Amino acid sequence: MSDRALRATVALVALAGVAVAGYLTYVHYQPDALICTSGGGCETVQDSSYAELAGIPVALLGLLGYVAVLVLVAWDSELARTLSAAIALVAAGFAVYLIVLQAFVIDAWCIWCLVNDLVIVPLLAVTTVWRAWSLREVD
Amino acid sequence: MPPKPRKPPPTKKSGNRNLLIAAGAAAAVVVVLVVASLALRGGDSGGDTTTTADTGEVSTLLDGIPQDRAVLGSANAKVTMIQFEDLQCPICRDYQQEGFPGVVDEYVKPGKVKLRFVGMHFLGPDSTKALEYTLAAGEQGKLWQFADSLYANQGAENSGWVTDSLLETIAGDLGLDYAKLQTDASSPVVQQQMQSMAAEATQRQVPGTPTFYVQVGDGEPYQVHPSSFAVEQFRTILDDALAG
Repeated sequence: MSDRALRATVALVALAGVAVAGYLTYVHYQPDALICTSGGGCETVQDSSYAELAGIPVALLGLLGYVAVLVLVAWDSELARTLSAAIALVAAGFAVYLIVLQAFVIDAWCIWCLVNDLVIVPLLAVTTVWRAWSLREVD
Repeated sequence: MPPKPRKPPPTKKSGNRNLLIAAGAAAAVVVVLVVASLALRGGDSGGDTTTTADTGEVSTLLDGIPQDRAVLGSANAKVTMIQFEDLQCPICRDYQQEGFPGVVDEYVKPGKVKLRFVGMHFLGPDSTKALEYTLAAGEQGKLWQFADSLYANQGAENSGWVTDSLLETIAGDLGLDYAKLQTDASSPVVQQQMQSMAAEATQRQVPGTPTFYVQVGDGEPYQVHPSSFAVEQFRTILDDALAG
């Protein structure tokens, strides 16, 4: 895969993340717009006290993370690549924490949050490869 | 002037070191986020089980409106709005606080519309207990006040927030006979109501809560989809039904 294709993949995955996290941010403020596949779970998670961190919706933090990755893709330097991978790693770590919360504390599943988690997996993979690519170019 | 020293180009070794530093920083940020999430989580339904029940406003709103078990409003009202709810559902609570007072004030009080509560308990044990006691309150003519008080004191899903002390406090505030309430909650009458409500929800394939149906006279109920809980949404729906 060429470096250009890798950059494009990172951007595409980040855009998918912007869409999901953007939707979750929107429904945080407009809960009536939440489309949930099964009764209760989404609302319960979105309405739980864990949906906000110091008054900031967790979904908005995610959205900012994806936007930051997009900016870093445009910047494209070794530092930008390192920061992208670091952001994806933070997102993955925090996603694991949120999954644990849903499973054991809130006791309800938010399908859109899980879709977001599914976006984080390829984001972590491609940002890591993208960063590793710049090391390979140093060889 | 000596030439300015140039920064050496990155080597694979320094790149790896930077990557390790970034990974360590990322891990630290995750820890900070998790700690912050636990310490600074938003206030909401939270799970606090309060025994200071909030029962004032709707009691006043519902004063003088006839109640027959799960039905609120005049038996002669032409239109019935059927509300499928789970007392643990946060969006149902939102409707109760945002839409319900306007609907009651503008349509139920004047006798144009009656509301029928259909309780579901699919979210878990707290839903079941809350529904049993709410239906039991219906045996004393205060189902709607009881449901409202539970919504006002709603806690985190299945956290055990429907405590005996909360139920007793609400009953006391609403002037209900708590001993009778307890007996009725497990009575065949209430259990039968729960079964028929569950059967109605199944028959209508209710996808979640809250779900609203409107019935004109004895006609077939049809599902309505308010896009928000603003009273204007319900005005459109109910005015159409009243005109139909």
